[in-house]
Amino acid sequence: MLTGRTLSARAASLLLTLWLVSALVFLAGQVLPGDVARVMLGPFADAQAVAALNRQLGADQPVLVQYWRWFSAALGGDFGTSLSMRAPVAPFVLASLGRSAALAGIILLFLVPLGVGAGIVAGLNQGRLTDRLIVLGGVSFGIVPDFVSGLLLLLVFGLWLNWLPITGAAPDGAGFWTSGYYLILPALPLVLNLAGYLARMTRAGVIEALAADYTRTAILKGLDRRQVIIRHVLPNALTPTIAVLATQSGYMLGGLVVIEALFGIQGLGNLVLNAAKSRDFPMLEAGVLVLATIFVLSAAIGDLVQALLDPRQRRRASL
Amino acid sequence: MTKRNEIDALRNLSGDIWNVAVDEYAKGYLKRRDLFKYAALIGLTGFAASQGLGFSGQARAATAGGTVRVGLGQPTKAIDPVTVTDPASIGVLSQVGEYLILDDPKDGLQPKLALSWEADETAKRWTFKLRPGVKFHDGRTVTAKDVVASFERLVDPNSGSSALSAYKGILSKGGAKIVDDETVAFDLDQSNSNFPFYVSSDVYNAVILPADYAGDFEKNFNGTGPFKLESFRPKQGASFVRNPDYWGDKALPDRVEIKFFDDEQAQVVALQAGQLDVIPSTTRLELAIEGNANFKLLSVQASSHDAVHLRTDQAPFTDKRIRRALALTLDREAIVKGLLKGRAIVGNDTPFAPIFPSADSSVPQRKQDIAEAKRLLAEAGVPNGFEVTLTTERAYDIPDYAVIIQNFAKKAGIDIKLNVLPQDAYYGSATFGSSPWLDSNLGITDFGHRGTPDIFLNATLKSDGAWNSAHFKNADYDALLVEYGKARDLQAQRIAAGKIQTLLLDETPEIISYFSQYSRIASAKVEGVRFTAISHLLLDRVSFVQA
Repeated sequence: MLTGRTLSARAASLLLTLWLVSALVFLAGQVLPGDVARVMLGPFADAQAVAALNRQLGADQPVLVQYWRWFSAALGGDFGTSLSMRAPVAPFVLASLGRSAALAGIILLFLVPLGVGAGIVAGLNQGRLTDRLIVLGGVSFGIVPDFVSGLLLLLVFGLWLNWLPITGAAPDGAGFWTSGYYLILPALPLVLNLAGYLARMTRAGVIEALAADYTRTAILKGLDRRQVIIRHVLPNALTPTIAVLATQSGYMLGGLVVIEALFGIQGLGNLVLNAAKSRDFPMLEAGVLVLATIFVLSAAIGDLVQALLDPRQRRRASL
Repeated sequence: MTKRNEIDALRNLSGDIWNVAVDEYAKGYLKRRDLFKYAALIGLTGFAASQGLGFSGQARAATAGGTVRVGLGQPTKAIDPVTVTDPASIGVLSQVGEYLILDDPKDGLQPKLALSWEADETAKRWTFKLRPGVKFHDGRTVTAKDVVASFERLVDPNSGSSALSAYKGILSKGGAKIVDDETVAFDLDQSNSNFPFYVSSDVYNAVILPADYAGDFEKNFNGTGPFKLESFRPKQGASFVRNPDYWGDKALPDRVEIKFFDDEQAQVVALQAGQLDVIPSTTRLELAIEGNANFKLLSVQASSHDAVHLRTDQAPFTDKRIRRALALTLDREAIVKGLLKGRAIVGNDTPFAPIFPSADSSVPQRKQDIAEAKRLLAEAGVPNGFEVTLTTERAYDIPDYAVIIQNFAKKAGIDIKLNVLPQDAYYGSATFGSSPWLDSNLGITDFGHRGTPDIFLNATLKSDGAWNSAHFKNADYDALLVEYGKARDLQAQRIAAGKIQTLLLDETPEIISYFSQYSRIASAKVEGVRFTAISHLLLDRVSFVQA
């Protein structure tokens, strides 16, 4: 079983990782040319005004002081005030996380049935035409970058057919379903891009499980094919698939900068990018930390689920 | 004769300064439109109206109602009139914020919160009469106190105001004064006949705000404009509704809905899909709508330009013959036609764009002359040309312009190497010694539109100018600037301008080969979209064409 010790060790390494990330981001920010007030006021602003604004924002302090101020406040749960937006950071990060999560949710909604379903069908029909079509199709869609398929889908479904809204941001005050409807077009490129990979992972798992001793035993026991697949093949076949999904969820929550820009969604990826552009350190730090947390957590959850499903891994984890 | 009567009627309107302009108009030196612009400048606001010049609100009756949907870029920071600099924020601000005067690209200075203005004999003290009964969106009445506080805030070095460099040497703290509730006076640091431009929309930060404004504009967008805030969602967009208490003609549309985009491609696609009515324009986007009757490209002539500086204190450009030689290699007509698709006017290596009434159009236009360029190079001791690096920014059409200059220069044997930097790297810290913009030997810098050439003349070319990337130090030039600033009437201004233009043409610290237009793209379904060349977007006269 998973012991308390392994869990706390895992948590400690997570915290250490996050601390390292926060320090690295602050240091990396120092390499960028220019300062926040200069970025805010533009190149033609008076040097006096720039200095005054930097003083107001506290951006004229040494970087270690700035970092310490930020870090000590963050420990108390206060992620500071955005230098460029002049408002608390937390609501911005939460709102953009929400938008990214909504997009990721829609992606998963399409991706999981499509990828896993296709993978199972392919695995059960190994070597036949259906299998080859699914694998080949998956690989073909997988190598098209999301910004290319994004543009194509946008042209076809948004401009020519006029079926779906062009922007991912629903109008002010839109409800749950409307908001989801606006996210379908932005989600599709990612679904196409990832489905093939997911299908191949599932397919490999299914083929492996079909060839395994326990499947043969089950068949010899006289269980019908449907029972064998549902009870014995799928639980074993889907373990690697779940690990893949966990890592991809991390990516979906922060790595979709191009898709977010293309469809005007103010997600976490965009937030971090814009914070870096405007040298807004409190915003950048908080955004990157949330991203890092998601990456580390989703990897950990992937491991955990895998351990729960696979007795071999469970034993290894408790060593 | 009607003509004679008209001139006499015009003459009766004001004093000597005005009569010079009237005489010029009578003799045909001054175009009718420039006469109107000039009338506005010296505060003859009733005049233009009496001449039946179509001002906003007097246009044909249009149907009211509807929502105007606008795409804009992503504001780079919190929207605050005091620190605003980016085009998207100015576009949002235009819905709610107003100035004493609007510098309309078509009709020149238009009275808004100021009704009239006049200067004393020296043009050092300017007095503005405010429009009575104007209300902020929160219901309070605008008084002189609010106006003075608005300008005091902008010239306060501790406020982080981005208008500080515009007012440098013109207006300092304590310069704005309350005369009475409806009158404000400005005591300038030095004479300036163009001061009305400085309190106009040209200084886009000069929005009139309540005296007790505390820097939290995004909370309520409290201004005096034709629209007032409905909702604001940071990073996403904003919506505004008609202000029923507006002092002027009420806005035609019911609502304005603004969406922010990180990507300009996304904007044009949303326009094409019918989800937007108005978006900003760039040459890249114009290709997408070219020849499509569903969209139209709207343009206004601006004084925006890309200035090529030549460092006058560094080899090889210490010799003015070499500077002139490089300027002579450019075929300006070809650049305007090719690079700018004809949407620009040819420049003559000075900031005096032909659209400024004070520009002296009799100064000869510099044209491409390779033989003369070669002769000057030989005379300067470099008959086989030389090698030089051109440093500039990756923005707008500038990289293409750099290649064009490179090719033209080759014709005279000048070998230009290009060093194109990301925009923020090029500007660097924007101070001498740590900015490729201000330190490079040869560079190209983009300057946005201004209503008068004053800021360009002072900041980029004066010996102690903060943006003097040419490191041009010339006592005669500095003296001429004072003369230009003091010139009280148009004729005197133009005489001073002519001297400055001639001197700059001779010295050539900068090459300015074009002044470009400012454009927006709109759906063919909307009419009445107005904008300034510095990103203001005026939507109160917008109506929808019935299909």
